[in-house]
This record gives sequence, C-alpha cells and structure tokens, in this order.
Amino acid sequence: MRPHDNRAWLLLLPALSLLGVVGALPLLAVFNYAFHDIFTLSSVHWVGFEWFIDILQSDRFVASLGRSLLFSVLALSIQVPLGIAVALLLLGFGKRAAWGLMLCALPLVVPWNMVPILWLGLIDADTGLLGPGLAAVGFDYKFTALHTWALILAVDTWHWLGLVVVLAYAGLSAIPPAYRQAAAIDGASRWAVLRHIELPRIAAALSIVFLLRFVDSFMIYTEAFAINAGGPGDATRFLTLELGEEIKGFSYGQAAARATLYFLIVLAVVWAFVAATRPPEGEA
Amino acid sequence: MIRVLALCALATFLLLPLVQAIVLSVTATLTHGGVAAGTIGLMNYSNVLADPDVRASIGNSAAYVLLNVGLCIAVALPAAYALARYSFVGDRHFLLMILVFRVTPPVVLSLPIFILFSQLGLVNSPVGIALVHCLFNLPVAIWILESFIRAVPPALDETAFLDGHSGPSFFFRHLIPAIAPGIGVAAFFCFIFSWVEVVFARVLTVTGGKPVTMAINAMFGFQTDTGLVMAMTCLSLVPGVAMIWFVRNDIARGFTLRA
Repeated sequence: MRPHDNRAWLLLLPALSLLGVVGALPLLAVFNYAFHDIFTLSSVHWVGFEWFIDILQSDRFVASLGRSLLFSVLALSIQVPLGIAVALLLLGFGKRAAWGLMLCALPLVVPWNMVPILWLGLIDADTGLLGPGLAAVGFDYKFTALHTWALILAVDTWHWLGLVVVLAYAGLSAIPPAYRQAAAIDGASRWAVLRHIELPRIAAALSIVFLLRFVDSFMIYTEAFAINAGGPGDATRFLTLELGEEIKGFSYGQAAARATLYFLIVLAVVWAFVAATRPPEGEA
Repeated sequence: MIRVLALCALATFLLLPLVQAIVLSVTATLTHGGVAAGTIGLMNYSNVLADPDVRASIGNSAAYVLLNVGLCIAVALPAAYALARYSFVGDRHFLLMILVFRVTPPVVLSLPIFILFSQLGLVNSPVGIALVHCLFNLPVAIWILESFIRAVPPALDETAFLDGHSGPSFFFRHLIPAIAPGIGVAAFFCFIFSWVEVVFARVLTVTGGKPVTMAINAMFGFQTDTGLVMAMTCLSLVPGVAMIWFVRNDIARGFTLRA
C-alpha cells in the first residue's frame, strides 16, 4: 500500500503546466471558435450552435462517421489478433525473439507521410516489385473502392502491427513460467492457456493498444489522403478528410465545430472503454 | 517448421516496402547530370545530401526531437515518481487526464496551437514543435517511467534518505541509475513519435525551420524524381533504426503497466 501524501501534486506541477499550455489552452480555444463565424481573426461573429446543427444534419457527416467507424473496427479486428499471434510466435523463439521485435518495430520509425510513398512505390505498375503481379490480377486501387479499402488497411496494418506486437510481447514475457507449467500438468489445451492465463495477464497492455489504435485509425488522415484523397467517389472519405478540407478552405469556425465534435466522440469512446474495463474497487 | 514459415511470411510483409525503397534509392530514375536513367549507384544520396535545404531540415528535425526527448524525460520523472510512490487525491484522475491528452487527435488542436504559438513567437522554431510534441509524448513517458519506478523496491528510497541524501541527490545518484533502461525505453518512444509526426510539424513551420518530413514533400513536383524521394526516405529511417538497435533488449519491458 502506498503512503497517502497530497504534497505529491507538487511533483506533478511541471507536467501539468506543460500540458496546460499545449493541451488544455488550445482545447478551450477550439471550443470557443466552434461557436463563432470567423472571417479573419479580427472579424468574428457569435453563431451559437449553428455549425453543430449544420454538421450533424448533413448526410455526408453521417456517412463519413460510418466509414471511419467501420475502418476502426476492421483495423482493430485485424491488428489486435494478428499482433497477439505474432507475439506468441516470437515468444517461442526465446532469446532470438529480440530480432523479431526489432523487425516489427521497423515500420514504427517511418515518418507518417512516407508510409504511403513507400507503398505506392511498391505497387506502382511500372517500377514496383508487386506492381506487375497486382496489375495482372486486376488490382486497381484508384478506381475500385474495395481495393482502395484493402490497400489502406494493409498499409495501416503494416505501419502499426509492431506496436501491438511489442506491447503484447511485453505482457506475455512477464508471465512467470510456473503458470504455464501448472497448466501443462493440468493438461490444459493451448486454447485454454490463451483464454485463462495469457489474455488476462496482458489485459492492461492490450487496453492501451486498443485505445491508441482506435484513436489513430479513427482519425487516419495522412495515409488515406495520400493514397486516394477519399476516392474513388467518396468511398474512403473519412472524418478527418472533411476536417482537412475545411481548414484548407479557411472556414475556421466550422472546422473548430467539427474538431470539437470529433474530440467529443473520441472522449466518449475512451470514457466508455475505461469505465467498462475498470477493475472492481480496491487497489491492484 | 510452420513457425519458421510464419516468421518468413511476416518478415516478407514487413520488409518488402523497405526493400523496394532501397532498390529505387540506388537507381537513377531520371536522366540528369550526365547519368542515364537506370544506372545503379549512390548518386541519389549524394544529390540529396548536397541540397542545403535538406541538410538544414535534418538539423531542424534533430533539434526539436532531442529537445522534446529531454523535456519529456525531465518533466515526466518527478510525475512518474509521485504516481509510483504515493497515493493522493485525484491520482487516478490525473492518469485519465493524460490519457485524454494522448488520444486527442492532432488535427483537432492544430489551428489554435498555430494561433497561440504565433503569438508566443514559436512558429518556425524547433522549440515550438518540441513543446507541442509533449502533448502525446509526455503521457507515454510518464506511463513507462512509472512502471519502471514501481519495479524498484521502496527500500531503495528509504535507505538513501537514511543515508542523508536530499531529494535531488537521491534522484540523480540512486533513482536514475536504477531505472536507466526505463529512461532509455521512454526516450525511444518519445524519439520515434516525435520524429515521425507530421501534422504539427507541418502546421508550425510556415516559412522556415522545415523538418525532414516536409523536405520530402518539397521534392514532389511536375517531374518527380522517385529515386531522390526514396533516397531521402531511406535517410530518414536511419535515426529510428539506430534507436531500435540501442533499446533492443529493453524495448518490451517498458509496458508492464497497470490500467
């Protein structure tokens, strides 16, 4: 049991003031802009909830929200199980697993705007290693919606699988060998070990993965925009692409209202997730 | 046998785009300067590095990334220590709050950050980017360091204080050496998240101080030299790969955290 001492807040002060300047203050400013029509910074008019009503009533918003949610669900349901599987695979290699982890972490250090460049180079019909093969089977990410989705999902998985693997591996390698030995003596099946020993032990690490991957895939912009700019048609117009258009079009009030909405959506999901996974009362 | 095959499939998937980039980066894709298209060699790299804008951008990126890492570690250490050793009113709320900041999408904040920082004179400067990147790096650093400090027995603190060490002297002479791998892992994650970030880095560099990620965007034009772009991409991976190498044995230990 840790001693109770409210003076510990003093140690949090530097962190709090830093986050206040770069986090809380800008957030308040966004909320404020969201209720104004902004022509220039010196010509600002109060419009109340007008922007919010406009956005919420537009069919495009609902459609984009649906696409973003679908993308998040697909990304999570591919990357989380695959990441756990890779972590289990690496665990079987003992000390040599460090090489596998380094391999998986490699895509994480690629600057975000270069990830689509790498992949578009790879599938380029003329110079890409995969280009001729993909062209032969009729893969066309520019004009076939299903193919665009598959490409963006593949790129996102390539980019972020390493994070899931590293965190899952960290949790898995911390399980004392005695647990597995006891399970082996009891004749537990592989599935039972996974279900009753491994998954509960990595739950904390996985919840972080879930949140980070949810937010990043829900707010995907750089990759989606670079690959097909929301096309073909509107098939990959995600929420962030609409926000980007408004910022580029200088309609700041509307952009701020939209940003506020996105923030509230993210906050609601995070809150629901934390509430649902909170351990029963009592210090762990 | 199946395990080895699975590993090979994984390695192929992860490495293929990088192999492609390396191949293109050593191929002349456009004919200029007396070098015919299709020639193999390092001319793309020498061309990229001869460009003063690119050299400046490498310096800019290095400046804000290092500044950010230093700042995050310095600010996160006391906070992580407080969270690991004491319970206090609102400690859970603090953890929830930094989680909220970590998951706030950068696009949401880009506009007011730009206005705020232009009033503070921090646009086009590495300091501005280093500060903004704390928004998502500080929570990560606090989580990682907290789990490492928690793993150090509280007896270490008590003995040090009995030996007459003051707070700061205990921090530097006992705590920091004891959690050195944790600081390495936290620095690794701060480094890569700051190095790869593009939204804030783009918004906050209007006329100068362009980072590496923006220097590559400037290479796209009427006739894009793919070889040049790929050479630049490969160069931008070097620091990250070096960081992975440094923390390879500790990388998986940083996240044994409580929810």
